[in-house]
Amino acid sequence: MNAIGIIANPASGKDIRRLVSHATVIDNNEKINIVERIILGAQQLGVDKVYLMPDAYNMGYRVQDKLKTSGELKCDIQVIDIYRYDGIEDTLNSVQYMEEKNIGCIVTLGGDGTNRAVAKVIREIPLIAISTGTNNVYPVMIEGTIAGIAAAVVASGKFDKKLFTTKDKLIEIYKDGVLKDIALIDAVITRDVFVGAKAIWDVESIEKIFITESHPASIGFSSVVGSKIIIKDEDDFGAYVNVIIDEACVLAPMAAGIVLPIATDQPVILNFKDEYEYHTSCRGTIALDGEREIEFAENQKYVFKISRNGPYHVDVRKALEVGQANGFFCVCKKIKED
Amino acid sequence: MKISNQSIIEMYEKMLKIRKFETKAMNLFAEGKIPGFVHLYIGEEAVATGACASLRDDDYITSTHRGHGHIIAKGGDLKYMMAELFGKETGYCKGKGGSMHIADATKGILGANGIVGAGHTIAVGAGLAAQYKGTDQVCVCFFGDASTNQSTFHEGLNLASIWKLPVVFVCENNGYGISVSQARHQAITDISVRAVAYNMPGITVDGNDVFAVYEAVNEAVSRARKGQGPTLVECKTYRWRGHFEGDPTVYRPVEELEQWKKKDPIPRMEKYIIENKVMTEADVTKLNEKMEKMVDDAVDFAVKSNNPSMASAVEDVYTDIIEEARVR
Repeated sequence: MNAIGIIANPASGKDIRRLVSHATVIDNNEKINIVERIILGAQQLGVDKVYLMPDAYNMGYRVQDKLKTSGELKCDIQVIDIYRYDGIEDTLNSVQYMEEKNIGCIVTLGGDGTNRAVAKVIREIPLIAISTGTNNVYPVMIEGTIAGIAAAVVASGKFDKKLFTTKDKLIEIYKDGVLKDIALIDAVITRDVFVGAKAIWDVESIEKIFITESHPASIGFSSVVGSKIIIKDEDDFGAYVNVIIDEACVLAPMAAGIVLPIATDQPVILNFKDEYEYHTSCRGTIALDGEREIEFAENQKYVFKISRNGPYHVDVRKALEVGQANGFFCVCKKIKED
Repeated sequence: MKISNQSIIEMYEKMLKIRKFETKAMNLFAEGKIPGFVHLYIGEEAVATGACASLRDDDYITSTHRGHGHIIAKGGDLKYMMAELFGKETGYCKGKGGSMHIADATKGILGANGIVGAGHTIAVGAGLAAQYKGTDQVCVCFFGDASTNQSTFHEGLNLASIWKLPVVFVCENNGYGISVSQARHQAITDISVRAVAYNMPGITVDGNDVFAVYEAVNEAVSRARKGQGPTLVECKTYRWRGHFEGDPTVYRPVEELEQWKKKDPIPRMEKYIIENKVMTEADVTKLNEKMEKMVDDAVDFAVKSNNPSMASAVEDVYTDIIEEARVR
């Protein structure tokens, strides 16, 4: 069995950033189109089973119906039969199911937040992340067909995954010695006192930014640090900055269409062994990969650590190069035999 | 965003007031003390509360058949509301409208409405009036998911967008149009995506998180006041009771209700308030008691009020404007 899994987040692409910035709306019908193309690409290259996360819009069943009706479906599609919460639990439970099935590759459709949820559960399965969210550093815009073909290369089991994956870094956030949550790209301490609509867009509310990677070509908080220092995914460290009004400003793309001055001090490198202790002095929140998730009160202690405990993230381009170099796409002999 | 403890307490108080009013109405209806129909708002309190928290007294709202929560959140008086439910002459409509027609022009409450989808176009009218008069008033239009299949929704959003009217369309997506689940009446799950067709921002928020609703509607109201046009805010929520009191709700699984009860907006806010020392547990208990007393007082007021007289049956049927027109 050559199986892949698809996590298409039905909630991505619709949050408040459509109101406070110029973010794109990606509706679920467009996600269905992308899922179709992933499946069509993957099945041509040998994938015979696709597991899909269930969701309220029934994206999996709609894809199945559409491809069956058009006569294009060759592989077996299974929408995972789990209780649907219509929340993050669906992602966690679906990835857990896929891990138990030991499938060859997971493809996600969502933003940094979607992939953060996946990263909480995924262990050994390589991950291809397609962006359908907002301020995305982790997932990238890839044509679904190409992502499907790459997933087939990865899931074939013919190649060492080290050839085309990077074990990702994480920001681990501990409270009282217990792992409270994680972030893939950035964790931001804010003075916003509630989680609310989750996204953060008010620069004045930001106190500290932790990042695993930074680059001026990123968008969101990674770009703030990226305006001063480039940290790549292969670097065994992350960094943090303090947002201080008196410091010299950099211009950074905080959100889609929003380029703002933000004043920070110089980035401080955080190596894997380092622990940054943060003592809260007032109420606030910690935003993980762009979304407020943790509300804190005063007189609490949080510890921030950078680790390499994240998913095996597939470089689609490299995976396809490995496939090409090893004749994965050569089907002339097979066609002649047919 | 910045928010004072006082504002947080006020929002919590509003949610409590709605819950206790609706629970009392539920019990009174079951006892046969309230005539007509009631459609209860229990479970959806965070939407009306969060949305109205950004409004001024001179701003407008349009409501629905499930309107008690909206009216309370906009400052409606419990006594006159309860009297209207009882059909008494002291009620908001002098006892002649009942639950589905409560209005209070002094608070900008343009009325609950028994017609599904009627509010969209009324809200556009209010927005046009504000724009025409050059005020910075805003109208928040509350409506349910199924009403977005009505032409009034599409006509309303279209006009509001073309004319950049100060209207915030707040959809309470509770997953059902009467007894029909959203999956059976709509080809989409997120109403917010319909905004794209009308060239306005559309967003989806957790309708059981009062802060999420407040933040989203606050941004939308601010945008509307600045003349930047309408916004569609979809709030995902759930009504705990049936479409109407007496509805056996055989069309939805019990487990679904149980899952949504775990997301009850009121304990969520209570937890926040206590953990963040906005109020003590004792303060919370006191406020609960105060709201219960307020509702009991409203019932007492309604019970002691008179029924409308027979002679008043045809009063208020025609407005003076029509009489004047007739004379002319």
